[in-house]
Amino acid sequence: MDLIDRELPAPPERLRRGPFRPGAFSSRLHDPRLASLLGIWLGVAFGTAFATGLVSHFMQHPPGWLQWPSRPAWLYRLTQGVHVATGLASVPLLLAKLWTVYPRLWEWPPVRTVAHALERITIIPLIAGAIFQLATGIANIAQWYPFRFFFTVTHYWVAWITIGALVVHIATKIVVVRANVGRGRAGRAGLTDRVSQPEPAGDGLSRRGFGLAVGTAAGVITATTAGQFVPGLGGTVLLAPRRPDLGPQHLPVNRTAVAAGVLALARDPGYRLTVGGPRPFTLSAAELFALSRATVDLPITCVEGWAADATWTGVRLVDLLERAGIPAGATVRVESLETRGGYRASEVDPPHARDPRTLLATRLGGEPLDLDHGYPARLIAPNRPGVLQTKWVHRVVML
Amino acid sequence: MTGHDAAEAEAEAGAGAGAGAGAGAAPGRGGGLTRLAVALTALGGLAALGYGIDGLLSETRATNPHNSLRWLIAGVLAHDVLLVPAVALVGLLLSRAVPGPYRAVVQGALIVSGSVAAASLPLWRGYGGTPGNATVDALPYGRNLLIVLGAVWAAATVIMVFRRRRSRRSRRTGPARGM
Repeated sequence: MDLIDRELPAPPERLRRGPFRPGAFSSRLHDPRLASLLGIWLGVAFGTAFATGLVSHFMQHPPGWLQWPSRPAWLYRLTQGVHVATGLASVPLLLAKLWTVYPRLWEWPPVRTVAHALERITIIPLIAGAIFQLATGIANIAQWYPFRFFFTVTHYWVAWITIGALVVHIATKIVVVRANVGRGRAGRAGLTDRVSQPEPAGDGLSRRGFGLAVGTAAGVITATTAGQFVPGLGGTVLLAPRRPDLGPQHLPVNRTAVAAGVLALARDPGYRLTVGGPRPFTLSAAELFALSRATVDLPITCVEGWAADATWTGVRLVDLLERAGIPAGATVRVESLETRGGYRASEVDPPHARDPRTLLATRLGGEPLDLDHGYPARLIAPNRPGVLQTKWVHRVVML
Repeated sequence: MTGHDAAEAEAEAGAGAGAGAGAGAAPGRGGGLTRLAVALTALGGLAALGYGIDGLLSETRATNPHNSLRWLIAGVLAHDVLLVPAVALVGLLLSRAVPGPYRAVVQGALIVSGSVAAASLPLWRGYGGTPGNATVDALPYGRNLLIVLGAVWAAATVIMVFRRRRSRRSRRTGPARGM
């Protein structure tokens, strides 16, 4: 411990210029109590975004030991809606938090001990990761790709970097928080030298006013965007990329039939649905439509944080699997007419495959499925990310 | 005393008191158990941080580390070198241009406006979307942003009018109430 706590030589005082000067930052908002309170809120927001992000990641890439339940049907709508909502609400929280501690960037001497230097170094991945996660998330939900990396994978790994640096930061700053927050904080003021000083008088924004403004900003952002996933509030969306009732058959689309290159194949009168298993069989489109007698209300819940309720009619997947003699414990793969792309097929584990609400849907809202929604047939299952609700299905095979 | 002064005091204390005064890094004067808990938490955090860096540098086809590192660094620089000085400049201008009782309201409304605009930037700038799919970025965002900001500034105006009335009233009745 001696080595990392040993005092390092200070740089010559004549280099202490510009923002390094004493008193260079005069705002009374550069305050450790304000920083601690904002840090707590931001920690809760980032912790929530990380946890819900992991849910989404492992729903799409389940490790061998994990099988997601198909109920409750609203679970993914909630976790992914909350993921995007907390990310958006974090924008004012992060900027405010960074404002309160900005003078620390110019502290003098820049490094006092090895421990101090290490602590300062871990701030870099924290701030870089936090800004990166919010910026790339905002770009991705708008389907704006100014960068040259694949969003989901990079967002996932930078999430680990950010949350790791955040945990280190909490460990190193917990004394400052304890000395500045909570009822007995006066008794803990001796824990650190960073203790909030009485607020100087002035006409500008007070610390309380700053907190109110930041909270209002987060509230306005949430109020104008959360309708994209909250049931029944779709009409209130003003500044979110999607409105849940806008699209063909009043439902948004992520990948159109043209973009997927399936226009001709989906309309082909020779279309057949093949179900592979111990007793394989095929159905023509007309036969599939004739069998479509089950109707369920299920939302499409997108990784981009929007969800839209819809009424689907089709064939229960479990009925098709039983007719093909596929055992109850088997995982099946549902394949699209798409010839390429990462989401042309998806695997359906037993909880979803055997759920009576899981359909190969052929009708939406009482009408034949729109081409952009997966005509002639698409998968729709409860509690499942939209990218795995495979469209333009032509094969179901046992794995 | 400002937060900066507190930082000052800390720096001086650090220089004077020697080892252990680096309040940011040392777990403070808690017991050995607290120290251990803090150290273990920090180690856990470092493990997650390392796991993330390893993943980012391993799945290079997807993460394109050269490009993603540029974006990571660009974000910090854009914030520290551009955004904060710009905000400080706006604050300086406001302190000259907007009189006392209204300045805080204007600052608050600017914080809300800037945050809302930043969180929806690709939408109202028209950056995103997918050709041939009108359901992505489906709304008239320029108009919608104006509606939201209009409501924010209308509320700010109401607060300013309220403050003006209150300050007039207190000026008239103030001495009688002994304020």
